[in-house]
Amino acid sequence: MTKTRSLVTALAVVFLLGSCLVLAQQNPAPHPNMNFFVTSGPIGDGGNLGGLAGADAHCRTLAAAVGAGNRTWHAYLSTQDRPGQPAINARDRIGSGPWYSQKGEMIARDLAHLHGDTHELARLGNNLNKLTGLTEKGETVPGLYDYADPRDNDWEYVKTTPYSNRHEMLTGTQPDGRAFTGTDLDYTCDNWTSNKDPDPATQGPRGGGLGAAPGRPNAQIGFPDRNGGGNGSWNSSHGTRGCSQAALPRTHGVGMFYCFAIN
Amino acid sequence: MTKLNAYGAVFCVSLLACCLALAQQGQPGAQPNQQGRGAPPADQGRGGGGRGGRGPGSHNQMSFFVTSVGMGKGGDLGGPAGADAHCQKLATVVGAGNKTWRAYLSTQARPGQAAVNARDRIGTGPWYNFGFAQLGQPQNAVISQNLGELHGDTLVQAQRGSNLFKQSARTEYGQVIRGVGDLPPVQHDILTGSQTDGRAFTDNADHTCNNWTSSGAGSAQVGHSDRIGNMNASWNSSHATTGCSQEALVSTGGAGLFYCFAVN
Repeated sequence: MTKTRSLVTALAVVFLLGSCLVLAQQNPAPHPNMNFFVTSGPIGDGGNLGGLAGADAHCRTLAAAVGAGNRTWHAYLSTQDRPGQPAINARDRIGSGPWYSQKGEMIARDLAHLHGDTHELARLGNNLNKLTGLTEKGETVPGLYDYADPRDNDWEYVKTTPYSNRHEMLTGTQPDGRAFTGTDLDYTCDNWTSNKDPDPATQGPRGGGLGAAPGRPNAQIGFPDRNGGGNGSWNSSHGTRGCSQAALPRTHGVGMFYCFAIN
Repeated sequence: MTKLNAYGAVFCVSLLACCLALAQQGQPGAQPNQQGRGAPPADQGRGGGGRGGRGPGSHNQMSFFVTSVGMGKGGDLGGPAGADAHCQKLATVVGAGNKTWRAYLSTQARPGQAAVNARDRIGTGPWYNFGFAQLGQPQNAVISQNLGELHGDTLVQAQRGSNLFKQSARTEYGQVIRGVGDLPPVQHDILTGSQTDGRAFTDNADHTCNNWTSSGAGSAQVGHSDRIGNMNASWNSSHATTGCSQEALVSTGGAGLFYCFAVN
């Protein structure tokens, strides 16, 4: 009898210890209201996300991994109008809000608050910031000053240092949340299918600079921490130096993006 | 029985260990990327190494700062003139007294007295903070190129915002103001008395602690130097204070600090 009780106790201890260890390794579960997050990692092929569908799937996979797979997740990305293909606005893909962070803090009440649709709303701004622009795991996104290192422009370094600056979110979007239209210039890495860089032969050794220009693969980006680019835009601050995975870190991004649940 | 006690002890110890392990999890500071948060302001900015530091001439470029200290009497700044003098004094201490400094404060219309808009007092820019030389990141030293960008005069400018944010809104010493998520006391409520467009309020309510002369009754409009709080990101017009005493300012995360701009 004593032997059995001892055995049971021992088993219980081992089991409890084990489950505690497992729990301790996990990040805190998302707040049940979470319907917004920043992807904790990139897809990994630069601006080629496999189109909107590929990006949505990435959102879904990450959400499911933290137990939030019951919602319908969409990436906050626009696509440009191309022959036989109308533009798609990021703001039209994300439902109507309100949206809450991984910790349950509201980032915006509705689309107008999120984007600043009236002049007063725009001047006030929304509640997306360094403390609310969290990944699905609840991590803050490393930005300027967090871990300043000259090597944080180098993908080979950045990919092994998760704490180095990576605050640029792909959006392909104008400040109002809409696509760039009526232009041949690239703001979306060819509608999120391209991992190409500017051709050094035509654009010069440094790729010809930053942002959209003829013959230059590029994506528009914004900052969840609202720091950088000479403005604080969360969705449309500036462009990239190319669309390859190695090009994105040159301006402090790695190809992460925003995910919103429409329900 | 002794054996059972031993198991019990192991059980307790393991439970305790579990709790400790779990307790470490939820802390926001657990990641190694939090240099900008929680650290006392003195750790940042000051003595920023060889490129600038506190040597002679290091403040030549500075044309914007947040006052490192308030005037101590809540919303009573001795009127805009008293506030301007405070700006000038603090600038002089760090060797930037050769410029003409103005506090970013509006005053409201009163009988025989026209309103004054904060935006009309600060020159035309561009304005630079004292982060310029220290951090070697010139792009983040520019608070704003001009009045339009600073206040978002066009819709797109307003949607984008200016370059005034937590890490660029520094004191005359180059310190960052404690904001949401930092160790207390949070001091991010910055007196402005202004609307989001940088202009004075035109209603009859008090938004300026009686044109910066009251340390008791009244209220002042404040912005957030870290652009976090009250569900908006406004640097100059986020919410009203609950009163004009120093205690009232402190109670909502302020210290009676204000923005200073050089007009030349």
